[in-house]
Amino acid sequence: MMNLSLPLLVLGPFLAGCVVMLAPQRTRFLKQALVLAVTAADLVLCLRLFPQEVTFFCPWGAYGIDFSLRFYRFSAFILTAAGGFAFLIAIYSCVFTFAKEKSRLFFTFFLFSLSLVNGAVLSDNLIILLFFWEGLLLTVFGLIAIGGPTAFKTGVKALVIVGVADLCMMVGIALVGHLSGTFAISKIQVPLGGLGSLAFVLMMIGAISKAGSMPFHTWIPDASLDAPLPFMAFLPAALEKLLGIYLLARICLDLFRLVPESGLSMALMIIGSVTILLAVMMALVQKNYKKLLSYHAISQVGYMILGIGTAVPIGIVGGLFHMINHAMYKSCLFLTSGAVERQSGTTDLERLGGLAGKMPVTFLCFFVAAAAISGVPPFNGFFSKELVYDGALERGLVFYLAAILGSFLTAASFLKLGHAAYLGPRSETTQTAKEAPVFMLIPMIVIAAGCVFFGLHRSFPIGQLVQPAVENHLEGQDFSFLMPNTKLVAVTIIMLLMAFANHVFGAKMKGSGLKAVDYIHDAPVLSGIYDRAERRCFDPYEWGRAMMRGFSYLLWRLDRGIDWIYNAGFPGCAQVLARTLKRWHSGSYVTYLGWSLGGLLILVIFLMSTRSF
Amino acid sequence: MLALNIDIVVLFLMALSALWTVMTRSLLRSAIGLALTSAMLTILMFRLHAPLAAVFELSVCSGLISVVFIATISLTQPMSQEKVLQHMKDRLERFWYLPILLILTGIVLSFLNLKFNLILPAPEIEKDPRIVLWNQRPLDLLGQIIMLLTGAFGIVILFREAKKK
Amino acid sequence: MLSLLILIPLAFLLLMNFLTLKGRRMAFAVVMALSFFQIYAVFCPTIMANRPLHGLASVFDFTLAVDGLSRIMLLCIAIVIFIALLVAAPFVKEEDKRFYFAGLMILELMGLNGVVMVRDIFSMYVFWEVAAAASFILIALQKKRDPLEGAFKYLIFSSVATVFVLSAIAIILLISGDTSFAAIREALRVSPHSFLITLAVGIFLAGLFMKAGVMPFHGYLPDAYASAPAPVSILLAGVVTKTLGVYTAMRIVIDLFGFSASLQSILLCIGLISAIFGALAAMGQKDLKRLLAYSSISQVGYIFLGFGCGTPLGIAAAIFHIFNHTVFKSLLFVNAAAVEDRTGSLDMSRMSGLASRMPVTGTTSVLASLSASGVPPLAGFWSKLFIVLALWQCGHYGVAATAVMASLLTLAYMLLFQRSVFFGTLEKGLEGVVEAGFGLTLPAIILAVLIVGIGLFFPYIVHTVIFPVVSY
Repeated sequence: MMNLSLPLLVLGPFLAGCVVMLAPQRTRFLKQALVLAVTAADLVLCLRLFPQEVTFFCPWGAYGIDFSLRFYRFSAFILTAAGGFAFLIAIYSCVFTFAKEKSRLFFTFFLFSLSLVNGAVLSDNLIILLFFWEGLLLTVFGLIAIGGPTAFKTGVKALVIVGVADLCMMVGIALVGHLSGTFAISKIQVPLGGLGSLAFVLMMIGAISKAGSMPFHTWIPDASLDAPLPFMAFLPAALEKLLGIYLLARICLDLFRLVPESGLSMALMIIGSVTILLAVMMALVQKNYKKLLSYHAISQVGYMILGIGTAVPIGIVGGLFHMINHAMYKSCLFLTSGAVERQSGTTDLERLGGLAGKMPVTFLCFFVAAAAISGVPPFNGFFSKELVYDGALERGLVFYLAAILGSFLTAASFLKLGHAAYLGPRSETTQTAKEAPVFMLIPMIVIAAGCVFFGLHRSFPIGQLVQPAVENHLEGQDFSFLMPNTKLVAVTIIMLLMAFANHVFGAKMKGSGLKAVDYIHDAPVLSGIYDRAERRCFDPYEWGRAMMRGFSYLLWRLDRGIDWIYNAGFPGCAQVLARTLKRWHSGSYVTYLGWSLGGLLILVIFLMSTRSF
Repeated sequence: MLALNIDIVVLFLMALSALWTVMTRSLLRSAIGLALTSAMLTILMFRLHAPLAAVFELSVCSGLISVVFIATISLTQPMSQEKVLQHMKDRLERFWYLPILLILTGIVLSFLNLKFNLILPAPEIEKDPRIVLWNQRPLDLLGQIIMLLTGAFGIVILFREAKKK
Repeated sequence: MLSLLILIPLAFLLLMNFLTLKGRRMAFAVVMALSFFQIYAVFCPTIMANRPLHGLASVFDFTLAVDGLSRIMLLCIAIVIFIALLVAAPFVKEEDKRFYFAGLMILELMGLNGVVMVRDIFSMYVFWEVAAAASFILIALQKKRDPLEGAFKYLIFSSVATVFVLSAIAIILLISGDTSFAAIREALRVSPHSFLITLAVGIFLAGLFMKAGVMPFHGYLPDAYASAPAPVSILLAGVVTKTLGVYTAMRIVIDLFGFSASLQSILLCIGLISAIFGALAAMGQKDLKRLLAYSSISQVGYIFLGFGCGTPLGIAAAIFHIFNHTVFKSLLFVNAAAVEDRTGSLDMSRMSGLASRMPVTGTTSVLASLSASGVPPLAGFWSKLFIVLALWQCGHYGVAATAVMASLLTLAYMLLFQRSVFFGTLEKGLEGVVEAGFGLTLPAIILAVLIVGIGLFFPYIVHTVIFPVVSY
């Protein structure tokens, strides 16, 4: 069934973005109204289309590159979620204060991003997908770069890191196209092994780098400090996770059919576990509200990758459920950080404290979201983590241990964050703080309520959203009414209690909530590693840059030589020739006629000599 | 005999008008001379049973070259009397060898005894020139009309302006 | 019904003369309507299907025919006539001159349409001359010294080309006894490769090359282009030389002579020389229009390169490039007209930084330059790519590589032109310059949209328009 509402989902936000970009400076209110209207319309359209499966097909080019879009259960789920986040964050952004009248640019890129995400999720052709995917790279760069002078550098960093990963994906897509002979996603079925495995790894790199997994994560913490906050809540916390994990799931489930016994599944699980642990270790010691959150944004991706990587139904469902949960509580957490920054002027934990009394609603939202991310029952994060644990345990004890340890550390770091920011004595900066404006609170409350709702009525998201999307891979099982494994729940609760005890102990030892985990930071071996990590010794981007510097010096020497040839050699020749030609064109009839007759003679003689025409 | 005589008369007339075309001082007269020449040539071709060639000749000369000439005239300045005389003298001095060259070439060619493989069309004795023009080549006729219109436009534009000055 | 494309303009031309003085102001609108009619006709199957007429109407039943190639040319002609008329307003100011200008445009239209549609070598020649005569009157329209000289040069060289072609036609008539394509084909089949035919082919091609203005037959062309008033330059560069030279050459070679090894090598050789030396010569120019004229020579070289392959891909690429060249060169001439209109000069050394003053002109000219240089994803890129691909497919690797090099040269002179006219700081004395009027920006925008649109939707266009042309 052809349906024009699909291209509308892509074109609508894009055109609205163009309008915002071109609109005059003074119509701020109108622009905001337009953004709200467009995002709301996007959401409504997705909801209206929701239960159906619709496609749109427009033969665009040769070589199997067709503009084909497909709206079915899985993409519908992602699109609706993306539309919802876009709408809420648009509300939030309307009251967020941007540096130096950058709001026009922000909203432009915001809408472009929404359009590109919609396009990427809808596209049923790998080349079209790649087009939207790469487009998102540019809007991410633009959104970071409007943060200010230092943000530009971060933007470049993001561009390079994600760009390299996207390049891998491009090669992967080419390989897939070569192997399967088509680019239509719904028709592709590539067996793993040999080139197929290589294609899988390359495409996987593209997907997990978009989701922000290690080792493609290093731009996210930097961006959390530089970029405007709604961007963090919108893309790295929500939409990029949705998109990256969506693609990962499509790759693992539809394009390649990952099986539990394969080495690739193992590789994915290792990436997931390592990401969980390393990122949460980094998060633990952060002294900045936003930076701490950004490390968690990386760490939580690990759970999703781990879940999908297990390749068993329960793990896949858990990973996808965790994806939507994470998008909710993490964007909520980022929004609270934005509210705190707006009201108190800082996100440095050392200068915060005692905000709970001043900003009760914000605190409540923070509390719900933090409990959800830490996996406290009965919030949504708890249930998705339990599913992932179940899947991980099925594949190996070590993955389960990594996951549960990550959970412990997550809880510890959020206890620290909550304690340092909202409880404890008030600092100078927080003395005068007031509750955030109502337009900032609405999105936070809605999302926090969603966290509670998804936790209490988990059969709805699992049964209605996640499972239909992957119903071919469930082997007939249904997890929507499954009660969590009692033993695992017990372990989880013990872990949470240990985390609480640990926090109480640490806080008592150091005398403040902020320093509750400093003893981990100062542990003999760890402190050296942390030091280096903070000096960016483990940043692949920095390694790359160092290597590049040496390489570029070499190239520079070589380049000078070649440059001389180009600068002096070729243009010189061209100029001499041009001047000579100009001299010959004297404007004389006789000369020109002479040339023409000469040409005629040569032509005729040539034809005569070959005796054929 | 009579027919041959008429042919010769026409040929003679044609040569005369051609000569006039070349020798006259006024470019306008020379254009008229050209038209006359081509008319004579056309008649001659019809007489020689080559109506197609005759039609072509009519198209090329009466239509096109006249226009070319008129356009040329409008683009050039008329010369003064002395200049014209001087010019004629110069021309004689410069191009005296051309007639000799022409005659020599003719002699050489006649000795070469060239033979071409030609598929000559069947002689079209019965065809009336009107039939050829109307039934066989109506498109050329249309083209000629358009050509004449173009010529008219050219003359109007280029001449009238010149007169104003 | 094809004869409508000639008869309707003719009828309008005749009727126009009966208009009152006031009605004559409508002349431009009439011609624009004619060009729109032609665009419509190209896409209208009932007009394009040449059914025989009956009864009284059979008087107008001429032996005309169209195929894909002709239709693309008809489209080009209509577009360029329309653009030229839009541009003409600021350049042809006097009321009566405007009327004659419109009349000449109709004549030009009829001439070009005739050339494109006839299937008889002599009729082709007749219409050829109509178009040529109309063009040199158009060049001379302003009656200033330079245009007169340009027109005269064009006239002289045109006549020489005419003589060539006419002699060739005479020889062919001598051999085949008729001038229709079918008869000539038959005669060539019976006695191929005779001395006379070879001679005729050589002379014919030389005449067409002169009309097309490829090197070394190009001497008159820069003078004619540069001296003509802006709308006429657009007309000349856009369709006149393309139809009279390139299209006719293609038609003659495809329909009559057929591709042979030596013809191919002639076409490739001529194309290569023109592409490279045209670009080099363009680099040394100071006058904007002259630069564009040399660029035109270079692009025609490209067209011949594609055509010289003789393969369907090559011919398709050549046709596509004809169309693209028509669009971007017209756009550049429109830009040149805008610059000339506002600064009163075309000397590139005396202007710079105009982009800030004339944003539309600046932007569209950048697009046109990039399209001309073959930068993706603009229209010019695809046709050049196809030309290079076609060359590569035929095994002319060296030629293909050189063609790419020539494309770099194109980029070089286009950048030089952009830098000296539009980029940089504003030249003193040009502070008062403002964006050109609606009549110049509207065509610029239309053409720029065409360039970008064709570039983006090229696969669709290639499959539905270009490739069917050569699927015979």
